[in-house]
Amino acid sequence: MKRRLSTIILVAIAITLVLTACTPGTTGSTKTNGEVDSTASSSKSPVKITYFNTSAEVNTMFEDMFKRYNEIYPDVVIELIPTGIGEGQQEKLQSLYASGNAPTFMNVDPANVIEYEDHLLEFTTENAPWLSLASDGAVDGGTFGGKVLGAPWSVQGYGLLYNKRVVDEVFGEGNFDPATINTRDALQKFFEKIEAAGVPATMLHGANWSIGGHYLTLSYAVQGPATSDGTGFIDKIKAGTAKIEDSPIFQGYMDTLDLLAKHNYNKADPLVADFNKDIQAFAEGKCATFFMGDWAWTSLVTLENIDEEYGFIPVPWSNNPGDYGNTEVVMVLPKFQCINKSQNTPEQQQAALDALGWMLSEPEGQQFFIDAGFFMPYKNVRDDVVYNSMTTSISEYAQKGKTINLGCFSYISGDAWTETGNLMLKYLVGAIDRDELAKGINDYWQSVK
Amino acid sequence: MDRSKRLINKIGSFVIFMGPSLIAFSCVLLIPFLYGFYLTFTDYSPISITYDLVGLSNYKEVFSDKEFWGQFFKTLRYVFYSTVFCNLLAFILAYLLTSNIRGRNFLRGGFFTPNLIGGIVLGYIWKFIFANVVTQLGSITGYEALTTSFLTHPERAIVAMIIVTVWQYAGYLMLIYIAGFVGIPKDIQEASEIDGATGITKLVRITIPLMVPSFIICLFIMISRGFMTYDLNLALTNGQPYGSTRLLSMHIYQKAFQANEYGIGQAEAIVLFVTVAIAAVSQVLLTKRFEVEA
Repeated sequence: MKRRLSTIILVAIAITLVLTACTPGTTGSTKTNGEVDSTASSSKSPVKITYFNTSAEVNTMFEDMFKRYNEIYPDVVIELIPTGIGEGQQEKLQSLYASGNAPTFMNVDPANVIEYEDHLLEFTTENAPWLSLASDGAVDGGTFGGKVLGAPWSVQGYGLLYNKRVVDEVFGEGNFDPATINTRDALQKFFEKIEAAGVPATMLHGANWSIGGHYLTLSYAVQGPATSDGTGFIDKIKAGTAKIEDSPIFQGYMDTLDLLAKHNYNKADPLVADFNKDIQAFAEGKCATFFMGDWAWTSLVTLENIDEEYGFIPVPWSNNPGDYGNTEVVMVLPKFQCINKSQNTPEQQQAALDALGWMLSEPEGQQFFIDAGFFMPYKNVRDDVVYNSMTTSISEYAQKGKTINLGCFSYISGDAWTETGNLMLKYLVGAIDRDELAKGINDYWQSVK
Repeated sequence: MDRSKRLINKIGSFVIFMGPSLIAFSCVLLIPFLYGFYLTFTDYSPISITYDLVGLSNYKEVFSDKEFWGQFFKTLRYVFYSTVFCNLLAFILAYLLTSNIRGRNFLRGGFFTPNLIGGIVLGYIWKFIFANVVTQLGSITGYEALTTSFLTHPERAIVAMIIVTVWQYAGYLMLIYIAGFVGIPKDIQEASEIDGATGITKLVRITIPLMVPSFIICLFIMISRGFMTYDLNLALTNGQPYGSTRLLSMHIYQKAFQANEYGIGQAEAIVLFVTVAIAAVSQVLLTKRFEVEA
């Protein structure tokens, strides 16, 4: 009995010892999340800054770039924190913040910029004069709540990709003009003509990020050319003053989705969603069009025996050629570079600002992005660059001003495209009808705070 | 003098033997668990600079989260079927492989191998099998049900998960059952044979009662692992089709890290913990009653 008592006491003592040893660390981190004062680093030792990258496909590009930067400016060392696709990027970033090791730079999605708003350094004309070189509208994309928090560095676009060889075989060389597809009826006729030639007309990638994140988002973005038109519409759904099913744009896009689904190459089993398989089928010309963006190129170039000429067609939602969205493709600034101010010293912040300026506005920095195939939204980019056919097609639409502003996408919270995307997939396979879909989307938005 | 010396000795040996594992256990399990429990009463987020106590509102949210309870019952079903089929198969395999089958060591090794492959790799292998091999078989044989992937239909995707789970764990449980079979005293078996027990009678009256400890362990393993399945779920279905196969762990993970609702996610994790504890403990207590002394 006595023995047992003493064991219990011992265990209790040991546990309290361990607990007290650990508690200062855990409680400390919650309180010291604020601004950090600059006691570190004497002027001689090089400034070390970290770069958190969520563009997994170009980790090596950033590595090379930072190595070169260190050669020119030996007193700054940039350390890359790479992430992989589907590797829990958000979770990694969150844990870096929670442990007080926030990266100096982060290259993230616009939704993250809003989430981390309070931690980020505001770019002004004084600390970031090079931002004036950014294309019109590009800086607006990085402006959140009136503050420029993110520096854009690439432009991507999506719409209906078409394989030029396949379409030319049906229409005859050079006879097809993508500008003629400006109504749903025209799209339908186009599809029917292609199918008459024995080729499946289109392909939908049955994943929630594509059908939900990209397709459904069109019905918010096309509400109007300004970002506030899209976000205003979402706010109304959240407040319950608007129902998504009352929007003719939503109904129109769903009608078009029905049409796409009817001619879907993956019709037999729409939700397989094997990205590589879909890319391969499209690149080999097994179907004529594909609802996807120009990032498909990165996956596509690694394949063999494929077609190389592609272009974009808009996704028309009505039968009025003049409606916004019927002749435009989506142009989006998918990633922004931000600088953390809450857990980095002023020296580190300054070093980061200088490095960012070099990357985005100096010819040598820009060359790294250009070599990787990115279309940079900066006015001083050399104009003799030859891009791949998908990016070229997007930039042609951009030059004509025929782009849909997807700004509202930035304000869509983390799980929106998974949750509403799952509803879209249910609709796609017929597990729910359009009324249930609309109700589900309304319910989702109303549940978001 | 002597007593206090003995006490110091005792403390010394306790620290030497228990100390390292106790510290490790506390740091990676006990403290995070308690701290996590505390976080369920807050609106914590790693992004926001401060957080407040919010009382029980996270738990209220959990009980009104319809999605969570839907997945809860789906997980129960998954755990039930995978436990039953896995144990059944493991028992049959063990029974066959303790009889005098040719090459039984090779077969034992073969059945155990899946357990050596990690859940993620296994998930990707089976994803390929379900998406490509099975559908090919379907189109060759013309058997309609096999032509579409198992993973694109909500009900069949759960079936696919159960199949893979059974495949993964049957070999592992088989080893435990084999140990159980081998551990049955020969004299009792011979005595029963002299009394005229053969085949089924011997199995039901002698073997199974004496193997209750093995059953307790195997059921416990399957129940606790089943509730906490994450890696296989992630690699095989990743919640698809349309979020219908998100088992509890995945739902909690997404709630906490993707919807940024830490407090709610953590509260749901506590609910899961209590469920697993109740299920596992009651299973052990229940099956213990069937235990017999040889």
